[in-house]
Amino acid sequence: MARRRSAGRTGGAVSRFARIAYHLSRLVLGGLFLYAGLVKAGDVTAFARDVANYKILPYSWNYLVAATLPYIEFLAGLLLIANRRVRPAALVTGGLTAVFMLILASVVARGLDIDCGCFRPGGHTTAAQALWRDAGILLLSIVTYRLRGRPAP
Amino acid sequence: MTAETRRILLEAAVIVLLGVVLGLSFNGRMLLNVFSGRLPQTQVEAEPRALYPVPVDLAAVRELAAAGAVLVDARAAELYADGHLPGARSFPLGEMDEQLEVFRQAVPTDAVIITYCNGYGCPDSFDQGVRLLEAGWQDVRVFEGGYPEWRDAGLPVEQGAP
Repeated sequence: MARRRSAGRTGGAVSRFARIAYHLSRLVLGGLFLYAGLVKAGDVTAFARDVANYKILPYSWNYLVAATLPYIEFLAGLLLIANRRVRPAALVTGGLTAVFMLILASVVARGLDIDCGCFRPGGHTTAAQALWRDAGILLLSIVTYRLRGRPAP
Repeated sequence: MTAETRRILLEAAVIVLLGVVLGLSFNGRMLLNVFSGRLPQTQVEAEPRALYPVPVDLAAVRELAAAGAVLVDARAAELYADGHLPGARSFPLGEMDEQLEVFRQAVPTDAVIITYCNGYGCPDSFDQGVRLLEAGWQDVRVFEGGYPEWRDAGLPVEQGAP
């Protein structure tokens, strides 16, 4: 803790920039996950079809993922926006995004032509596009996690 | 692993767990249905519609006709007048566009439809089946043996203009 407190004193401009960057990335990340969770929780069976398109899970398990994943995204997004439990929430969003990226990479490798099912069911985002977007989201998660460590952000 | 890292990991696990519990409680009934083999409603609606009519043989035609299936004669009206399956409707393939609305009034889209024409060499009944499926009828079969097979089996036929 002492080390962090001293790092916070290193200067006005830098810490001010870090503070703005922290809140910006936290809010964008939280908003993205809140939105993703809400739209997918609204139509679980459509999302289950999107999950089934990936051809990874046994049939019924697609529904289990579709029923639970949106709520995890929603909760993590809510905490980020509320500025509560930010590091655990950023860990969840980062971890999920890393898993999504692995799965999307397998879609690209297998040459499947499917919608990623990232946000609204029935959307039209290819796996390659989603992979780039997820790289950005992963970066946001890391930035949020790292900057939260600074004192009184 | 520091105490701080442990706390963060634990709280992240709690977030995931809470999400799972919330998801299960909101979708419990649907999941029970899925895991016991009953599909949710929208999944059934999303099933692709049949593109081709199902071929049926003479015995199946007799059985389905007795159960109320609609027999449809895809040949020209003159051939229909010379002889057709009992109770069959005349609906020549060449006049489908003109007669489709009349046909729609008379035959509900959930009826079982059996089309036929002049036997195995005649593609009209199959083509008609495809177009009926496209036009919204859901259960269309094609009797490929057609009128000749029915007549040659010694089964009763009807005569008369449509």
